[in-house]
Amino acid sequence: MIDLSIGRDLETWLDQVRRLGRDYLRPLGIEADRRHEPVPPDHPFFALAWRMGLGQPLGVEERSASGPRNGARRGVVLAEEMSYWDRGMSVAMPGLGLGGPPLLTMGTPEQKERFLAPFRDREQPHWAAFGMTEPGAGSDVAAIQTTARRDGDGWVLNGAKTFISNSMRADWIVVWATVDRAAGRAGHRAFIVERGTPGLEDMRYEHKMGLIAYESSSFTLRDCRVPVANLLGGERYYAERAGFKGAMKSFNATRPAIAAMAVGIARAAYDAARDFARAHYALDRPIPRYQRVREKLARMARKIEGGRLLCWRAAYLADVEQPNEIEASMAKAFAAGMAQEATGLAVEILGDAGVTADAYVEKLYRDVKAMDIVEGTGQIQRLVIARRLVGLPG
Amino acid sequence: MFTLALSDEERLIQETARRFARDRLLPGLRAHERARGVPPEVVREFAGLGLAGGEDLGAFVRALVLEELAAVDPGAALALDAPGLAQPLLDAAGLGAAAGRGVVIEDVEGRFHARDGRLAGEHPWVPADAIAVTAVLHPGCAFVVCEGWRLTPIAACGLEAAGASRLLLDDAPIAATLEDPRALARARAGIRTAVGALLVGAARGAHEYAMRYATERTAFGRPIAHHQALAFLIADLATAVDVARLAVWRAAAALDRGESGEWEAASALAEAAEQALLVGPSAVQILGGHGFMKDHPVEKWMRDIRTLASLAGGRDEAELAAAALAPEHEMGFARGR
Repeated sequence: MIDLSIGRDLETWLDQVRRLGRDYLRPLGIEADRRHEPVPPDHPFFALAWRMGLGQPLGVEERSASGPRNGARRGVVLAEEMSYWDRGMSVAMPGLGLGGPPLLTMGTPEQKERFLAPFRDREQPHWAAFGMTEPGAGSDVAAIQTTARRDGDGWVLNGAKTFISNSMRADWIVVWATVDRAAGRAGHRAFIVERGTPGLEDMRYEHKMGLIAYESSSFTLRDCRVPVANLLGGERYYAERAGFKGAMKSFNATRPAIAAMAVGIARAAYDAARDFARAHYALDRPIPRYQRVREKLARMARKIEGGRLLCWRAAYLADVEQPNEIEASMAKAFAAGMAQEATGLAVEILGDAGVTADAYVEKLYRDVKAMDIVEGTGQIQRLVIARRLVGLPG
Repeated sequence: MFTLALSDEERLIQETARRFARDRLLPGLRAHERARGVPPEVVREFAGLGLAGGEDLGAFVRALVLEELAAVDPGAALALDAPGLAQPLLDAAGLGAAAGRGVVIEDVEGRFHARDGRLAGEHPWVPADAIAVTAVLHPGCAFVVCEGWRLTPIAACGLEAAGASRLLLDDAPIAATLEDPRALARARAGIRTAVGALLVGAARGAHEYAMRYATERTAFGRPIAHHQALAFLIADLATAVDVARLAVWRAAAALDRGESGEWEAASALAEAAEQALLVGPSAVQILGGHGFMKDHPVEKWMRDIRTLASLAGGRDEAELAAAALAPEHEMGFARGR
């Protein structure tokens, strides 16, 4: 029989996240939203969290040689809880972020040693970033235009990247570029571009509808020269034509956790709407509107729990090293969709108060939209599922 | 930490039920519909497997078995599962297994009245032509009667292999009354979980059939499944089936842990009904004109799903039950949960 218990080890972590969330994540997320500015990297909270060992829940552990793996399951539970308090802040947390999976799965031992080293310093918070998206290439990853040209003992990068989380504060960014635009995915290479590298220019914040607390930045690579040693995985890796698969691998590792973030946001909306309803409405009275409120709450809760179960299944499969591509995409597609519905219902439950800017639920309604876009839009998830189920070409 | 896998024994039971459904129900699909029942030898054979509703299987294994049967024929699943949905109430009332089919009526409109140890009232539809036990549920109590009814055969929208009758209780002697709120809640949760499992099965059957058809049928020079409008629909239907199944599994697991399962089961039935009611008509849609014809079973699953979703109070009562619980419902990661 299935077992849906969390386990004691994780409960201790959850207690920490709860305290952190109540005291910092949510208040800071709301403050950033009102100021329309990301929380700056020198905010004392980041140093505090970093010293406590609380990096991003997405930070991929270096794999241990023995013992049952539970990293993916731990990941979805902590991602949900962090996002319950504030999804923007959970992305703003210091750590490897999306830069972690490519380094850990593709990097040579020397690269891992060198680029993980700063992250072992627990005094000052550190960030890494992942730069794939370009102004003209989002879901169509194969269409990236940033070029990489070999020049002596280095590579020269030219192009533009956009919507890159935490890139302005990152120690290094995994930048994807192509050595041959006509070659599609086979032409892709990943480079570690360190902060301060000449030619890494025009760093600027993008202005978002929600999730203000973390920075999404754009930058230009103008004759940006990186050493050969920064080609992720080394020449041999690409000789085996695994370039694109490397990028996709990192998506696979993170998709259930991203889905769990949508679940967390929806859960926050449910709690806010339920608490509002209990405080302001006499739900026991036979008033038609109150019955609607109850029904909406029940629907929200049911859908949120359904999304959570899909996330848990995908994470469980990842931990037992079974293929989870369909399941991860189902979790992502369903959770992002239901979370939009749930946050919308929360706004409705509050009535006209729901759309005012000091009502927390309208922030959640704006925040959650991104979850159906990042890490593969809902449409891309459906493509992935259909490719597996019915052999949809492409 | 949480684990979403079946044990070896559960897998074996699932496989046994799947094989039985494929070998013994599928070939007679339309014949069983016309006959309003499953041949006695098939009933006996299924009983011999030890997987019928009267057996002490636990809610989780029962959900696995019902899904497998319903993935071929939910009507036949009800016919084979005697005493079926009534079993949780029989268990709660200490009556043991019934000698035949059982039906459950959620008396939402107050059609039944108990007086002097007797129950009277009528109900427009029960999915059976002959029964051994009837259970009537009211908000605060449930009555079990073992005789004293009149059944008038009727035509129903679906589930023909189970039969269909109008039921009249004419001062039927009450065999047991169940009033303990916890026992009643658990029995109701058991019933809702079982109906949810049947809905998941029927939806899966419809989805798998339509998906296969869509890869074989070509239009505009390629399989229709390779047109994005259908590819996306097929992906959504697969997700619909899976999310409903997980909700049913969660409710069944709660029951097997000894919990009331009230919230989980009401949610599971509501979810399974909503998703199955999406899958059934969509499967017909995928087959186009062929879906509307009786040459393919998708039209049957669509009708069956519509009918199943009305069983034992159906989707409405499940949603109302969840709505009543919602303002107190907690979704955080509580200790020990």
